[in-house]
Amino acid sequence: MVDLKLETILNKVQKPGRYIGNEWNSCLKEHDQVKLRMVLAFPDLYEVGMSNQGIKILYDSVNKDGDLLIERVFAPAADMEEELRQEGYPLFALESGKPLNAFDIVGFSLQYELSYTNVLNMLDLAGIPLYSKLRDHNHPLIIGGGPCSFNPEPLAPFFDLFLLGEAEEALPLLLKEIIVNKQNGLAREELLVQLSRLKGVYVPSLYNPLYSAGRFSGFEKLVKQAPDAIEKNFVEDLDSAPYPTAPIVPYIQTAHDRAVVEIFRGCSRGCRFCQAGYIFKPVRRRSSEKIVETARDLIASTGYDELSLSSLSSSDYPGVDELINRLDEALAGKGVRCSLPSLRLDSYAVTLAEKLHQGRRSSLTFAPEAATERLRKVIGKRISEDEIYQALTDAVAAGWQGFKLYFMIGLPTEEDADVEAIVELCRELRQHFRRQGRHNIRFAISVANFVPKAHSPFQWEPQLSMPSVIRRQQILIEGFRKMPWVEFSWHDAETSFLEAVFARGDRRLALLLEKAWQLGCRFDAWSEYFSYSRWQQAFEALGINPEDYANRSYSFGDPLPWDHLNCGVEKEALVKEHRLAFNESDEQGCEE
Amino acid sequence: MRLLQRALRRSGLPFAYSQGYNPRLRLNLALPLPLGVTADREYGELYLTEQVDPTQLISSLSAQLPAGLELLGVFEVTAESPSLAALVAAARYRAKLKNAKGNGLEVVQIERAVNKLMAAEEILMPRNVKKKKQISHTNIRPYIFELQLDPDLLVAPELVMLLKAGSDGGVSPFFLLHQLAACEPDGGGETWQWSVERESLYLISNGALVPLTEGV
Repeated sequence: MVDLKLETILNKVQKPGRYIGNEWNSCLKEHDQVKLRMVLAFPDLYEVGMSNQGIKILYDSVNKDGDLLIERVFAPAADMEEELRQEGYPLFALESGKPLNAFDIVGFSLQYELSYTNVLNMLDLAGIPLYSKLRDHNHPLIIGGGPCSFNPEPLAPFFDLFLLGEAEEALPLLLKEIIVNKQNGLAREELLVQLSRLKGVYVPSLYNPLYSAGRFSGFEKLVKQAPDAIEKNFVEDLDSAPYPTAPIVPYIQTAHDRAVVEIFRGCSRGCRFCQAGYIFKPVRRRSSEKIVETARDLIASTGYDELSLSSLSSSDYPGVDELINRLDEALAGKGVRCSLPSLRLDSYAVTLAEKLHQGRRSSLTFAPEAATERLRKVIGKRISEDEIYQALTDAVAAGWQGFKLYFMIGLPTEEDADVEAIVELCRELRQHFRRQGRHNIRFAISVANFVPKAHSPFQWEPQLSMPSVIRRQQILIEGFRKMPWVEFSWHDAETSFLEAVFARGDRRLALLLEKAWQLGCRFDAWSEYFSYSRWQQAFEALGINPEDYANRSYSFGDPLPWDHLNCGVEKEALVKEHRLAFNESDEQGCEE
Repeated sequence: MRLLQRALRRSGLPFAYSQGYNPRLRLNLALPLPLGVTADREYGELYLTEQVDPTQLISSLSAQLPAGLELLGVFEVTAESPSLAALVAAARYRAKLKNAKGNGLEVVQIERAVNKLMAAEEILMPRNVKKKKQISHTNIRPYIFELQLDPDLLVAPELVMLLKAGSDGGVSPFFLLHQLAACEPDGGGETWQWSVERESLYLISNGALVPLTEGV
């Protein structure tokens, strides 16, 4: 749906394919044929958003309902933003081309903290007032979901409500409830109170944060009916949950351009730094019959030549090798490659990879996270040194010559020696293979910085101070300098710091976000756009010390801004995990 | 290409795949369109593993093509017949020329440049030779079979180019347009702009160039 004015704009921007919609399998419904219209907003570029499986799942589950309609909008790139502002053309949804203000609901997918400034920018480009309290019945309801809604406080004043947890079943129910209440003529405030009684619905305006001595000290409820705690939604049975078998096939290349079947949700490993491992509990599996059926439908409806079997730790699917056999059979002759991301570092995973790659030997990716056994125990990543050697030796024997290994630095209890061990591990592995006559083994080492996340056992831990992070990165840079067979990359310390500020932020950070956005911050996850000096300006302007957020160590009794949001794991269980970590215990942690 | 591959896969027709680790659907275009050139029809070859009725193929495949893409015709050839890519010998392009302000160029201006260029005995096109890391030059003057203004369009002149193309060498319409612009005195051609459309492909039949049409 491109009008003449938009066509002129699109002729001037890079990759107009980001903004034209109309892709294969996209769903066009008439606005006056449904009872409620929603636009799903992803605060990053089209290529990133269209790689997100959650977007595809919700698009499918809402559009299935005859009373509802859901369209998509993504963050416009800088050049498009400039054109839109210059022409006074409001941000629009891809399917109908209608401005966001023409919808009843705008729902943001909140996947990572560094997309928050884009949320504000998109609202502004749509001509929608940023603050919930400044909006009225002429504006859409602004709602949010996704992992960041488990601590949405920095965004709270901009949103009317958040929907906690998995939304493929809960979102259509919420929208239906809104239809009923609107028919009853409820005013906006009353509507929100009414909705707050639904499972998973968090209406931040019903809770007033309190502070004492400059620190968050709890909430007071402003409305009696508002629940004390909000329980997350989750799908009980993946086989009966809606899943898109005819997802949109983009015209332009996206980050993950392939068919995806989610084989299970949640993770039984419980690594202590990992938020996803906790907020997606419990582990639920899709049956292999359903997976094969879905895969067949997906390939037939999309024409993709690659099928990804996704989950947080794919080799943990019981009977995964049998599953691969069945998929091979079902897709034989269709020229489809299967891939299994997120493999655990062990010999079993290598045999699986061998089976899938059938001759192709590019490189294998694993995430040991830490290079010493001691530190791996602390973080709950239970792989031994022997297992690592065995797995890589098997892989080399099977023909692989390159490995991509992910590590994290700044982890609790980490010392310089643990960081040096990353370099040592690579050196020793190289020598190990050299002794076997393999001189060409290469490594790509990618090192992230630990960010304490809400609802993980490490939520009380401070992030390592920025100067120390930079110093430890320097150890790695120095160490790898003499190893041309290691391709070393690392995450920017400033970006990780900002992520930590927001990951455990409270509602006072909303003003900071607004300020940073006014100063021009956008796409903070993209190094070419990220400007730490702008953020520093914003911190100074508002008198906020970001270290109070990122580097603060909480005690177990401290009130946390996300205490009222229940991810399904009791705080007691997290405390127990935390204690186990510091005992460097072997004990299996929080399973399922 | 990706779009076509996916549509072909969705059709569920028995297309053949290449061998190897990374099986690809066997779809060959006669002469891939240079980036930035438009065309209103393209030719290609597809391999099937079993006999399919052409009308059924058209209906199955058309159902999978997005709006704006249309399957115009299907013709059966035997596996032994030479590939389209090997048969293609030339391509005809049509270019609209404009100056920096977006106005059409004067007829005399273009004619002057065409005459000057065509008078040259040699037009060298640099080509990177892999491995040797050096640049060799090919004389592409003989590759220009035709270069003239469309005699029917004098108000908004359009340049028609019939250029050698195919597996044994060819010249891009853009290279030629750059050469043409360079013929303009005092660097006046530097600001020329153009839009190029490919009109048709040609193959050699009985020693003469004939346009590739349906059924050939």
